[in-house]
Amino acid sequence: MSGAEAIAATAAEGAVDWAEKRYLLVDDFVGIRQLLRESLRNLGAKHIDQAASGGEAMMLLSKTRYDVVLCDYNLGDGKNGQQVLEEARIRNLMLPSSVWLMVSAEKSVESVMGAAEHQPDAYIIKPITEGVLLTRLNRVWNKKQIFREIDQAFADKDYLRAARLCDEQIAHDRLHEIDLLRMKATLLLKSGEPEQARKVYEQVLEERDYNWARCGLAKILMNNGELDAALTMFQAVITDNRFYIDAFDQLARTFQLQGKTEEAFGVLEKAAKLSPNSVPRQRALGQTALKLGNIPVAEKAFRKCIEIGEYSVMKTVDAFFGLARVCAQKNDTKEAIRLLNAAVHQFGGDQVELRVKITEGLVYHETGDYRRARKSGDELEAMLADETKQRPDTDTCLDMATLLFAVGVREAPVGLLCYVTRNNHDNAPLLEDVQKIFDKARMTDEGVELIKASRKEAADMMNKGVLLWKTGKLVEAVEWMRVARKALPHNMRILFNSAQILISQLQQTGYVRELADEAIAVLMHVDAIAPGQQRFAQLMEQLALLAPMSGVVAAAAASEYEAANGAIPDKPQDMRG
Amino acid sequence: MDEEDAQHHEGSPELFMFLASTVHDMKNSIGVLNGTLENLLAAAPTTPEQPGYGQLAQMLYQTKRLNDNLIQLLALYKDVGKPGYPFDPAACRVSELVEQVAAQARILLQSRGITLDLDFPPDAIWTLDEDLIIGVLVHAINNAIRYTRDRLRLAIRIDGDYLELRVEDNGDGFPPSLLEAGVSAMNSQRSAINFLNNSSGLGLYFSSEVAKMHKYRQRSGGIALENGGTLGGGCFVLRLP
Repeated sequence: MSGAEAIAATAAEGAVDWAEKRYLLVDDFVGIRQLLRESLRNLGAKHIDQAASGGEAMMLLSKTRYDVVLCDYNLGDGKNGQQVLEEARIRNLMLPSSVWLMVSAEKSVESVMGAAEHQPDAYIIKPITEGVLLTRLNRVWNKKQIFREIDQAFADKDYLRAARLCDEQIAHDRLHEIDLLRMKATLLLKSGEPEQARKVYEQVLEERDYNWARCGLAKILMNNGELDAALTMFQAVITDNRFYIDAFDQLARTFQLQGKTEEAFGVLEKAAKLSPNSVPRQRALGQTALKLGNIPVAEKAFRKCIEIGEYSVMKTVDAFFGLARVCAQKNDTKEAIRLLNAAVHQFGGDQVELRVKITEGLVYHETGDYRRARKSGDELEAMLADETKQRPDTDTCLDMATLLFAVGVREAPVGLLCYVTRNNHDNAPLLEDVQKIFDKARMTDEGVELIKASRKEAADMMNKGVLLWKTGKLVEAVEWMRVARKALPHNMRILFNSAQILISQLQQTGYVRELADEAIAVLMHVDAIAPGQQRFAQLMEQLALLAPMSGVVAAAAASEYEAANGAIPDKPQDMRG
Repeated sequence: MDEEDAQHHEGSPELFMFLASTVHDMKNSIGVLNGTLENLLAAAPTTPEQPGYGQLAQMLYQTKRLNDNLIQLLALYKDVGKPGYPFDPAACRVSELVEQVAAQARILLQSRGITLDLDFPPDAIWTLDEDLIIGVLVHAINNAIRYTRDRLRLAIRIDGDYLELRVEDNGDGFPPSLLEAGVSAMNSQRSAINFLNNSSGLGLYFSSEVAKMHKYRQRSGGIALENGGTLGGGCFVLRLP
């Protein structure tokens, strides 16, 4: 076969009709947009929209579902290409089949790191020529076909099935073998099977020293408590490639787990210097600096965090709280309160309001205004009295209890600590922390008794459900677990058992939509509190065998996300005064 | 080049950011220039006797050279060959590599009446950094235009543990000074500056660094310049483990 024939044959094999697709071009340089439009027209394209900025791109993306987005990374002021991609994905503005090509002026560090959660389908370096564009489009398209079923199972959180699909594909696809193995390792981690994931990474590393595989392996070591080994491996990756930011972030986490806050701080400072435009990194730097009392660095990090969050869906209320604490340290109560008001204004929601009140109390307490601190405490207590409102996450509860004790409130923090204990009745390290808070409030003996009683209460609730289930009283068991869930909304054992009992019921009666949705909602909630649980993956697999899941899970996960983080910004919202 | 790089330039991050955005702008300008010229040439009647056609072709050739040089300078600036470079080897279809290189060179070669022969194993897959290798091959073709009579050949084959990629021409062969520069480029004993004096030095240095970055099980890649080959002229040879 001659070369030309071979090319024709390859092209025919992956033939896609690019003429009928909808295209979006995003570049701040008009000449480039015209040129790309010309190239796309040569491919037969008819529907081509253009945007000169990230903001404009978001507007178009929210109106039209594009098949192909060609987006420059560097868009001048405002959002960059990565932020546009993240927002489009999180707001679900892309079809699963859509192709996102990120364009950059040169080979970028991001393209190789793959650390960002939302990756484009491919990176292209300027200047883009027609031939390269067509080849890459076809390639991405074919790859999407190969990964379609795997991606679908992933989106449905049926991780075990997705991992099996990877295996099937690996057997006869040498071209995508490494990508498939990388995906498989991710899936195994999400399924709570770190040992199996570890084997996949080791297999890949025998072939080549891929930094992502070394980082993956080191993360497993870290989670396994093999901190020194993890440390060495992250450091080796950094020595090999000083731009591998993910390794810096993980190294810092490892140091933190070792209790070496200063070392963690040093690493985070370096990482933030290398790659400053990350909300989570600046937040981690700010919080570590605050812990060490390094006020100037904490202030700078939180301010940067707010600044870059402006254009990102990663925007976090934590930065406002951190900065308010910084202001308290500087005795600038006025600015701290202004920031807290801004947090309520920009984020809103019960959870944020609770945390604002806590931080407010801390600010007054730290600046020595005990009268106002006590007032914040009383207001918090009043807010907690409303039983219909959901309690915040565990860490926030502990912070709140600490503050309430400090300002002299008694009853509310005791209630909170019992609540935390009931929801985590078999989490020994956490219960030690709870006891410490009691100790600090000079309630050591009462604490011991309260923890014991709360643990028993939770265990009794669970045992009653399990007993009903084991004795075949499924309907009663399902009913009882609803009660238990309401009383203990964050207790993982109760949540898992609850889902398990619902699934048993479904297995017995056959598929019932309402019960399946209930089970999915419970599992999504548990996955949001503590991702990567083995039991989660197993139950999702069982559920998938019973019912078609496509789409249901994504919707459940999205609403769970919104419940935890508040509405995603920039959505068209009704205007309220 | 962006804010992240700027952090490494303690001297004057502002100046660096300014330079970086200028480079970004230059790439855009050259890209537009290049694309416009290609569109003009593609639309023009294919009789190279047309007045102005030759000049357009010459403009495109010079624009490609400018683009090549800019890409290589940027890569050198980013420390190509050093551990920090975002080197990204991945399994790649050899046919797709050829497809992209041929497409990039098509209009230029056509405008100068040069034929490009292709010869490669259609099903081969090799692990390489595609963008870098395309850069090296396109540069080799642009360079061969200077030496060829009217025919070039891009030939790829698997040779034991290596993938051998050749760009051959049917001219009178490379001059001795260029052959010498090719040897120097692979010889780490000599300082880079020696062969950078040669006008082909930048491209050779870039290509050799790219080749050397490709490593697999104790073997690493290399380049060579020779005369002869299938077409009897100059040959650029890239070997990847």
